[in-house]
Amino acid sequence: MIKINEVTKSFAEKKVIQNLSLEVKNQEILSLLGPNGCGKTTLLNILSGLTQQDNGNIYIDDVLVSGKTGTKKVHFKPSERKVGYVFQTVSLFPHMRIEDNIAYGLKAQRLSKQEVKKRTTELLDFVGLREFARFYPSQLSGGQKQRTALARSLATEPQVLLLDEPVSAVDPQLRESFRLELKNYLQTLKITVLYVTHNLSEAFIMSDRIAVMGNGHIEQIGNRTEIFDKPSSKHVAQFLGVNAFKGTAVKASSGVLEVEVNGVRLLACSTLNLAGKAVTITIKPEDIMLSTSKSPKTSFIGGVGNYIEGTLTEMVQMRSTAQVTVDVGFLLKARLALSLIRELGVNVGDKVYACFNADALNVFAEGGD
Amino acid sequence: MSNKIVIVILAIIVLTYFLFVLLPIVAVFLRIEPSQVNAQLHNTVILEAIKLSLFTSGVATLIALVLAVPTAYFMATRNFHGKTIIDTLIDLPIVLPPAVAGVALLYAFAPKGLLGPILNRLGLIIPGSTIAVIIAETFVASPFLLRSAKTGFENMDRDVINSAKMLTGSRLRVFVTVTLPLSVRAIISGAMMTWARALGEFGATLMFAGSLAGITQTMPLAIYLLLYSDPLAGVMLSIILIVIAFSVLIIVKLIEQKRYGAKK
Repeated sequence: MIKINEVTKSFAEKKVIQNLSLEVKNQEILSLLGPNGCGKTTLLNILSGLTQQDNGNIYIDDVLVSGKTGTKKVHFKPSERKVGYVFQTVSLFPHMRIEDNIAYGLKAQRLSKQEVKKRTTELLDFVGLREFARFYPSQLSGGQKQRTALARSLATEPQVLLLDEPVSAVDPQLRESFRLELKNYLQTLKITVLYVTHNLSEAFIMSDRIAVMGNGHIEQIGNRTEIFDKPSSKHVAQFLGVNAFKGTAVKASSGVLEVEVNGVRLLACSTLNLAGKAVTITIKPEDIMLSTSKSPKTSFIGGVGNYIEGTLTEMVQMRSTAQVTVDVGFLLKARLALSLIRELGVNVGDKVYACFNADALNVFAEGGD
Repeated sequence: MSNKIVIVILAIIVLTYFLFVLLPIVAVFLRIEPSQVNAQLHNTVILEAIKLSLFTSGVATLIALVLAVPTAYFMATRNFHGKTIIDTLIDLPIVLPPAVAGVALLYAFAPKGLLGPILNRLGLIIPGSTIAVIIAETFVASPFLLRSAKTGFENMDRDVINSAKMLTGSRLRVFVTVTLPLSVRAIISGAMMTWARALGEFGATLMFAGSLAGITQTMPLAIYLLLYSDPLAGVMLSIILIVIAFSVLIIVKLIEQKRYGAKK
């Protein structure tokens, strides 16, 4: 279990971590998701003991490893924290063979030669690299190097594992399979994992819960559905690629909220009484449909929904989907199957209707960005 | 101007420069017949100069290893006020005219110099001794090792060092098992350059140590004197120094090219 309590860190007067608190449950895999430069790696370095925070306390399995207790200052060395750390840059010892890389921490613990050999072999088997034991890191692929780094970090039997964008060092065409491999390893290990990434789908694949980090603090924490369906701020929504707009709640009745965005009226399901208040509205691109007429093929759930007339301004085609932008008075991004686009026969510049259920809209009071 | 003309002009410039560097070296080799080499290698003056030069430059390199490598590590890994000034002062002997270095060493270590009273009390008279040669060579050549080792320490991947710190609490273990092996090529290259520079040291040695056969007369000093009394012997010594310098440079280049696990 990791507990971070109001941690602050500045570099040359620039605040990188600001009053950050976070708890990772025992044996939980928590992804720390955020854009580059938001302080994710600094947080890992603080947890590992490689960097010392200015303020705040760090607990690992209820033991204060860094911070203050009363007037007494505590700062455990990295090797004393029972933390394994897999760095973004792989960072294997290039002058040592794979088996020696893995055995490094065991030798430092002055274990017997037989014990070192036994545990190194077990770890080589665990990551499927036994036949590469005598190789040097330069002779391995990106994925094999990261597996070695994982095995090396596990050698000292840590209670907590920190992974800093471990997939980024792997060749792009092999990342998908490596992600699944890594997930299997992590699920087998049953230890507390803090997994740093800026990749949305990676966070969703790897973890039990996700913490979205921005500007040096945790903006939202929850499971996939909570984060994606109900982003807590405009910043989180934008980072997740979710549409986010500012508007004003005009009227609330029978669980339906009428919201005005740039002169366009939207209906949203909400039990909150936000009438008259400035609000932020978010909607996932996947929840928006396109139609060429005002009578879509699908009917709205609960009979409440939105048809908004607009112009298709951009279409980016992917393998099986397309991301389209519709100007409805504000820019609305939708993700649709390519087959549907072909069926509709729409192109950039065409008039279309953006259609979405009222319950697809997430509305919260302004101030969350 | 067409590409062809540019290439021709560039080729002429490169060739001219290549000849400019090569010509004096070839000229030295052409001054001696192969049949004369063996006789010269038994010349007592040459042998004494070689022996003394190898001894003093070897000791100077060892001293540099002991003093410059830890200093390089400190300079590469620590930030402190006035670091740029200290860094520049340490580099100074590289660009200092050798005669100035000789004068500076005299005013530091001569009986009437800064450390003179202490050395006198210990019964040590440095100028004119083999120790003076070693001091002059260390002073002039050690910054080459310091610079190379410092660059080696600075260019090291911090995450590799941090990985080791995660696995062991002993700084010494991290230094000995990771930092040092990863910078060993830079240290060896620097030591080779230091040794070659010490071997060729002339001006500071002449000013500070003088030229006493068997005591302070190193190979470059012997070349200077022999060119007037026994030119063939001077040429032979010059050839030996050229061969050593070339070998050192080749070895340094090979060390820099080597990669771990490049061949299996």
